[in-house]
Amino acid sequence: MESGAPAAGGFTSVVSRRSRRKRRAGGEQPAGAAMDTAEPRPCKRPAFPPVAAEALGVGKGELRKIPVPANRYTPLKENWMKIFTPIVEHLQLQIRFNLKTRNVEIKTCQETKDLSALTKAADFVKAFILGFQVEDALALIRLDDLFLESFEVTDVKPLKGDHLSRAIGRIAGKGGKTKFTIENVTRTRIVLADTKIHILGSFQNIKMARTAICNLILGSPPSKVYGNIRAVASRAAERF
Amino acid sequence: MFRFRRRDTTARKRGGQSSAGGTPVCGTPVCGTPVCGTLAAAAEPAGPERGAAAEAEPGPRVRGAMAAVPGLPGLPGLPALPGIQGIRTCLRVAGAAAARPECFLSVQDGLAADFRAMTKTLYDLNKGSNIVRGGPLKELVIEKFDEEQIWQQLELQNNAVLDFFKKSIARDAEDEDLCLLSDQEEDGSDAEASSDKELEDNIMEAETEQINVYTKDEEKAKTKAKEKQSKLRESIMQKYSDEDSDIDFDIEALEQQAKTAKETTLRKKGRKSVVDDKFFKLAEMEAFLEHAEKEEKEKEEEEEDDINYFEDIISDDDKDLEEAKVKPIKSSRDMTYKDFFDPVDDDGDDDLVANDAEEDQEEEADSAIEEQNEGSMSEFEDMDEMVEHMRSKEASKKVTFNVPDDSETEDVAEGQLEKGISPSEVKSSFEKRQEKMSKKIKSLEEALLEEKPWQLKGEVTGQKRPENSLLEETVLFDHAVRMAPVITEETTFQLEDLIKQRILDEAWDDVVPKEKPKEEAFDYKKRISLDHEKSKLSLAEIYEQEYMKLHQQKTEEEENPEHKEIQEMMDSLFQKLDALCNFHFTPKPPVPEIKIVSNLPAISMEEVAPVAVSDAALLAPEEIKEKNKAGDVKTDAEKTPTDKKRELRRKKLRKRMKRKEKEKRQKLLEKMKPEQGTKLSKKAAAAKLKRLTKEGKASLLKDEGKDKALKSSQAFFSQLQDQVRMQIKDASKLKKKQKKEKAISVHKLKL
Repeated sequence: MESGAPAAGGFTSVVSRRSRRKRRAGGEQPAGAAMDTAEPRPCKRPAFPPVAAEALGVGKGELRKIPVPANRYTPLKENWMKIFTPIVEHLQLQIRFNLKTRNVEIKTCQETKDLSALTKAADFVKAFILGFQVEDALALIRLDDLFLESFEVTDVKPLKGDHLSRAIGRIAGKGGKTKFTIENVTRTRIVLADTKIHILGSFQNIKMARTAICNLILGSPPSKVYGNIRAVASRAAERF
Repeated sequence: MFRFRRRDTTARKRGGQSSAGGTPVCGTPVCGTPVCGTLAAAAEPAGPERGAAAEAEPGPRVRGAMAAVPGLPGLPGLPALPGIQGIRTCLRVAGAAAARPECFLSVQDGLAADFRAMTKTLYDLNKGSNIVRGGPLKELVIEKFDEEQIWQQLELQNNAVLDFFKKSIARDAEDEDLCLLSDQEEDGSDAEASSDKELEDNIMEAETEQINVYTKDEEKAKTKAKEKQSKLRESIMQKYSDEDSDIDFDIEALEQQAKTAKETTLRKKGRKSVVDDKFFKLAEMEAFLEHAEKEEKEKEEEEEDDINYFEDIISDDDKDLEEAKVKPIKSSRDMTYKDFFDPVDDDGDDDLVANDAEEDQEEEADSAIEEQNEGSMSEFEDMDEMVEHMRSKEASKKVTFNVPDDSETEDVAEGQLEKGISPSEVKSSFEKRQEKMSKKIKSLEEALLEEKPWQLKGEVTGQKRPENSLLEETVLFDHAVRMAPVITEETTFQLEDLIKQRILDEAWDDVVPKEKPKEEAFDYKKRISLDHEKSKLSLAEIYEQEYMKLHQQKTEEEENPEHKEIQEMMDSLFQKLDALCNFHFTPKPPVPEIKIVSNLPAISMEEVAPVAVSDAALLAPEEIKEKNKAGDVKTDAEKTPTDKKRELRRKKLRKRMKRKEKEKRQKLLEKMKPEQGTKLSKKAAAAKLKRLTKEGKASLLKDEGKDKALKSSQAFFSQLQDQVRMQIKDASKLKKKQKKEKAISVHKLKL
């Protein structure tokens, strides 16, 4: 589009976009233009300037809050150094424990390079709060494909009273023997919190552990469960 | 178009052919000579058998002429006129010829000459009377002229008088005093054979009439002219069709047939049905429907026909003009009842009947003729019927749909006639396309409205479709089972090629025997052992280790070759030094020279065992010897019969194997070293002994059972006692006998 003839003669002068933008930037009004002087004609395509590198990474101070139950308060205090060191040093996040709300708050800052760091940190803290050891929970930060699964004993089979207690006892075993065996064979970590069960590990391993625990809940003896998980685990190990 | 074609090509040809001396192509009584049209005009009213109706057309002149002919049957005494004698003779000749139509089956040269003369006479007669201004020729020349030339002369004449005929027809058509002769007579005269020229002239007349008809737009003229025309055409077409179809049929018989048919139908159609009333007639409705069907059929045929380049376009316009009769003078708002309908008149019943009768006769004649002459006639018949239809409608009908009033358009029509021909004659291609399109659309719409064939209906059971109709259909359906492969020559060739190739490649499909995998000791140890303790490593570390193992498997520990050399050199050096100091040294722990990199789990590696102990000692008893399938070891008392039998079987098997081995070895030995072989084998020894005994070199010691008794001491001593007693007895006996016999055989002494 070329700028047209002046208004004389009834012709509307059509101004080129580029020139219009320049004028707008410069704050001038096109001289002798027949168009509306009130507002410039809107562009059809929105113009986005190239995104700044900083903007891509992290939003402006995203915040995650993880509530802490009372029973985990003391362990949190004891392991605070171990918790906050990898978060701050490796993930470059800001972490604090809000005493009033009893929340662990994690926030991104300008040094944060990776947007997924916040999620990892939140998961790590959550895992610790659930009952896992710090070293075990640390695996969540180090490895991408670890997951956390939780379910209840009563989800598997509706048990009440003594039956429920016996089921929990079966899962745990004498001195935690059965639980450790399952952990060792399937390379997972299990937290048995009364009726809640939390499993931490990779997807396949979680599945194996879950099957074993469900079998125990449903009533099969531990030796049988050992045999099964052993067979499954050996097959899985052979595959890789 | 058809008609004209005929006239142009076939008629002339035929005329030419037949008059050239050849036999007439068909058996119809056709004379080859051209006869002047005036003969026909003159002749026809004379006799009831005469051909088509030109009776009204030549007008009063001929009538007068006819009237003048005396002695002719059916006519009053007429004043004598010049040339009447000629006419009379002509008539006589023609009548005589026509009286015996069977003569025309063969060439009649004499008659041909007569007819030619007649033609000349009539032509000259015509020329003589100055009523009609004719063509340039003063007289018809027939000497040494062939038919073609005579025809051309006549044509010149005819073209000239065309106009006159047109006008006279128009005038006569308007003239109400003239009445038409009865149909019966006319049809009868139609049916009779007449000369070819007569036909041609009929056609000419028809043509002129037709032209009058088509160019004018008046119905009355049309109707009457058309009626005549129809008669003409019928006769013409009948005869032409006869010629063309080469069918030999009796015209008189036909004529009779037509008459009878007419009479019957007359009665039938004249009958009033129950539903008839002032406005509606069942017979009319039927007639209309028939007409519509024929029109449709004709339309179809018309579409199929190719364009005839020689036809006059009038015929095309014919229908259009007839159909598009609409010339609305009033606007649609001003139309009233009387524009559409005739005034309601109760007295018109008789006329109606009469008209009906007439119409019926006409229709019947048409239909009768149509039956005979199909296809080619349809066009004509349609037009005829249409003509009659229109005529009957307009003639004192109660309810008609005459949109344009006759009175109004009559005068206008004439003026429009001359103008009307040219633009409507030639249709633009666009119009033609439009017509075709509209026809197609119509047909498609009708097809859509009709009931669909059973193939297009949804689910059709056996009752809903005709019997065995599915056999003619190709039905597609899915095959649930894979079809068996068709074995053709090509497939066999392919197979053979494949087989040959396999043989050359030696790629047999032999069955590989399966082996039971034997579990080794290491595999046994490799199995995951359960650890009931809490793991010392955290999850992260476990995964770390796994990761490292996975990624570091590739990088094997490669010792520097230089290090190896150095190590070897050092070893040898130290060995020598130790030797120097007399082997007083503490031996260094036996480091295995071969480094075994084992991929065992850590638990197996961590076993606390002395390094010098061999792996065999480390193995568990089960790893060394497999457990008995039967289970634990049993004493004889514990063994069940199956166990015993099993053991026996095993033993036998072992023995058998041993024996076989031995024999094999023996055989081998015999082959290799024969002497040693014989020493050892039992068979060979027995054979040797037998040989020796036979020869007498050796003798077998017989066992007299003495040895058996020596098993126990009592037996021994008793035997000894017996022996001694026997000896004593013998000795005493011997003393006695010694004297008698001294010959003792050797054999007896043998012990």
